[in-house]
Amino acid sequence: MAAAASSERLPRARRARGVARGRSRALVAASVAVALVVMLPVIVTIVQALEGGTGAALHSLDASSPRTLLLHTVLIALLASPLAGAIGVAAAWFVERTNLPARRLWTLLAVAPLTMPLFVTSYAWASIGTLTQGYLGAAGIIAFSYYPIVFLLVAGALRGMDPALEESARALGLNTRRTFFRVILPQLRPALLGGVLLVVLDTLVEFDAFVALRYQTFTVHIYAQYELSFSASGAAALSLFSIVVCVALLFAEARLRGGANYTRVSHGVRRPPARYRLGRATLPVLAGFLAGAGISVGIPVGTLVYWLTQSSRAGLEGASANLRYLWPATLTSVGLGLAGALIAVVFALPISLLAVRRRGRLATLLERSTYLSFALPDLVAAIALGYLTSHYAPGLYETVGLLVLAESILFVPFAVVALRATLGQIEPALEDSARSLGLGPLRAFARVTAPLARPGMAAAGVLVFAFVLGDLGTAQILLPPNMYTLGTEFEANASTVAFAAAAPFAAVLVGLAMLAAWVLMNRFGRVRSLGGG
Amino acid sequence: MAGLVCEGLAKAYGGREVLRDVDLEVAPGTLTAILGASGSGKTTLLRVIMGFVEADAGSVRVDGELLAQAGRVHVSADRRAIGYVAQEGALFPHLSAGENVGFGLARAERKRGARIGEALALVGLDESYAARPSHELSGGEQRRVALARALAPRPRIVLLDEPFSGLDAGLRAETREAVLHALGEERATAVLVTHDQAEALSMGHEVAVLRGGRLAQRATPAVLYRTPVDVDVARFVGEANLLGGEARGGEVRCALGRLEVLNAGREGAVRVLVRPEQIRLSPASGNGAGAGEPAVAARVLEHVYYGADSVVRLSLEGAEGATVKARASGQELPGAGERVALSVNGPVVVFPAGSEQAGRP
Repeated sequence: MAAAASSERLPRARRARGVARGRSRALVAASVAVALVVMLPVIVTIVQALEGGTGAALHSLDASSPRTLLLHTVLIALLASPLAGAIGVAAAWFVERTNLPARRLWTLLAVAPLTMPLFVTSYAWASIGTLTQGYLGAAGIIAFSYYPIVFLLVAGALRGMDPALEESARALGLNTRRTFFRVILPQLRPALLGGVLLVVLDTLVEFDAFVALRYQTFTVHIYAQYELSFSASGAAALSLFSIVVCVALLFAEARLRGGANYTRVSHGVRRPPARYRLGRATLPVLAGFLAGAGISVGIPVGTLVYWLTQSSRAGLEGASANLRYLWPATLTSVGLGLAGALIAVVFALPISLLAVRRRGRLATLLERSTYLSFALPDLVAAIALGYLTSHYAPGLYETVGLLVLAESILFVPFAVVALRATLGQIEPALEDSARSLGLGPLRAFARVTAPLARPGMAAAGVLVFAFVLGDLGTAQILLPPNMYTLGTEFEANASTVAFAAAAPFAAVLVGLAMLAAWVLMNRFGRVRSLGGG
Repeated sequence: MAGLVCEGLAKAYGGREVLRDVDLEVAPGTLTAILGASGSGKTTLLRVIMGFVEADAGSVRVDGELLAQAGRVHVSADRRAIGYVAQEGALFPHLSAGENVGFGLARAERKRGARIGEALALVGLDESYAARPSHELSGGEQRRVALARALAPRPRIVLLDEPFSGLDAGLRAETREAVLHALGEERATAVLVTHDQAEALSMGHEVAVLRGGRLAQRATPAVLYRTPVDVDVARFVGEANLLGGEARGGEVRCALGRLEVLNAGREGAVRVLVRPEQIRLSPASGNGAGAGEPAVAARVLEHVYYGADSVVRLSLEGAEGATVKARASGQELPGAGERVALSVNGPVVVFPAGSEQAGRP
């Protein structure tokens, strides 16, 4: 009897899996194509590095200064990533799970640092004093600019957590603190690890954040070397370092994460979890949020205001002469941002869909391959793409199109993260139902999944938009001659200490960044709710 | 030995009353099932007892110890020593089954592991389950592990929130037995919340019917089923035929003949409750079944077959349009259109006439 039942069940299960496999074949193909495009700069860079012969490549790796500088980068990551993790988790918990006053405001201020242009932040920190120009400044900028990514992911995980888990822990005699460490924090591990991984990877190739500091990192060294020699193969050889480290980090994180991909085991009634009353802790917690916002948002905005109000008459006259560039620069930046966002979201869609629908080695591999865009400093990736197009696609070389492509490749991982956060909450059963009603996979996606995932697409787009606006490295290499963006204009003025002239460009950038943060706060990790927006 | 006493519990959310003046007493070592439709306040009641929700009025005592008194005392959930089995178990997904069971134990006891094996055995799972990741367990196993987790620290009472929801019929019965066995072994005082009347009647030593936030009736399953306090409770706890009738001196005259009244004392127009299994069918062969009351003739409209038995819907002859349901053995089923004779077995319960509307929540 039992044997008969199981033999009956077996082919059915196999058939179901077969259907799923056929369905996702197109998705896999699209994801592989995207992964290849994203890996293009890495492949070209490896070829370039080995062009001068393996001996030369090894020689440049052997030099002691890049190794010291790599150590600098590692030191920054060692301080910045746990700091970003701790701030992100704490901020998310207080905002999502306590009765903290003015939660919307604090959420906005916790998201805003991510959309701020880093080179503006960098100049702002550099102008404070010598302490913030060195190691502490470098690690501080990274921690306070990237903790929002941890915040967003962890806040989403907290919202999705079954309150019954926490209640069961309380019923078993655990107080609030022990419940947090034994039940909540372990549930947050995938979100936390994912966020911290992004921070670490970004530190590895970060340039914009250190542009005004006096702390030499590996990437800064590559930029300097390139500016001295204009040797593409030299920069490429040095980049082998970061490629190796990036791949090693990706493997390490995969090992650390293991099979952990906690989803709700139970599907009981969704009940909003009770918020803890802060009581006497309200004031200290508010002070903490105020301090965090002061450091991450207050410093760049305050510096900007200072530049605008405290400049000399001569400086202001120079600034007003510059204002005629403001509008065209804004148009260019916004146009680049929109185009980059659109392409990045299109790139990210198949990969993030695959990642949430088909958990397995292939899906994970494809998803993580987009993270290889963190393997190269912007400059090196830009050089690689320039080299590639000048040789094989001259029509694209020195066009805006190439710059947009480069930017979208660079920021695809963030788009994937934002899309996953939303897509993961949409039950596959919905799409299955659409399929059962006769819709093909594309139409089922367009009519069911895409409308529900709209907030996630908006979040992904806005995130990339903000990053493109705040990007300097790629634009400096690939922007066609006689074009300029808000970023390049800011940098051109700021690097010659013409801060009053630089300030209006930064002001527009910061204004757009706050708008982006507003959208991000309302859309990241959300599914379109029933009966509205 | 522990017992639970709730007095005058009330709770409102934004002006909407969810609980009103609820008194509940659970004797040591017994299981009380709280039966209510969705929205009746039963889960809120459980959460008030547990300490997840503070009541607006009333008190909760366990073992004579005051755990909650509105506005004055509120012992937090982690200090109540009350076991809690959430809907669908709520196992910690990052821990194995064994780690889940040991979760509430003191570190030393957790390390020793004896109690974990013991608790698993209580719910009918062997030691090999301890190492299994919780997401690999079946639905029924998850519920069992959740109960083992709640029982492991030897709580004073155990609260179960719809512990079998979402399980299919066979698994449900099996898991139900395992839970009853485990609770019995531990001599645990337990409160179970459910919307399933069969579950409440079969599991509870006592059943408390919650309706619109009020406790409508609390009694043993047999008393509740046989003598419900009103028409609504009668219908809620089981299939019911309600007929118009005229009561006089311990008897009632209705479309099913003259029947003995269990709750005598009411005279005049009444509603008569006749359970389907009280109605006996026999072939309509001229002079009826013989013993007792003269049989009433009826025609079979349809029947729903359940295997062991079946529910037959009948149209009564002589009473315009009146239909009743009878439960018949699955073996001797009359066909649709067939004429049969009915007789009623045992006394019936009567309610005041017109109470049907008034009794609605």
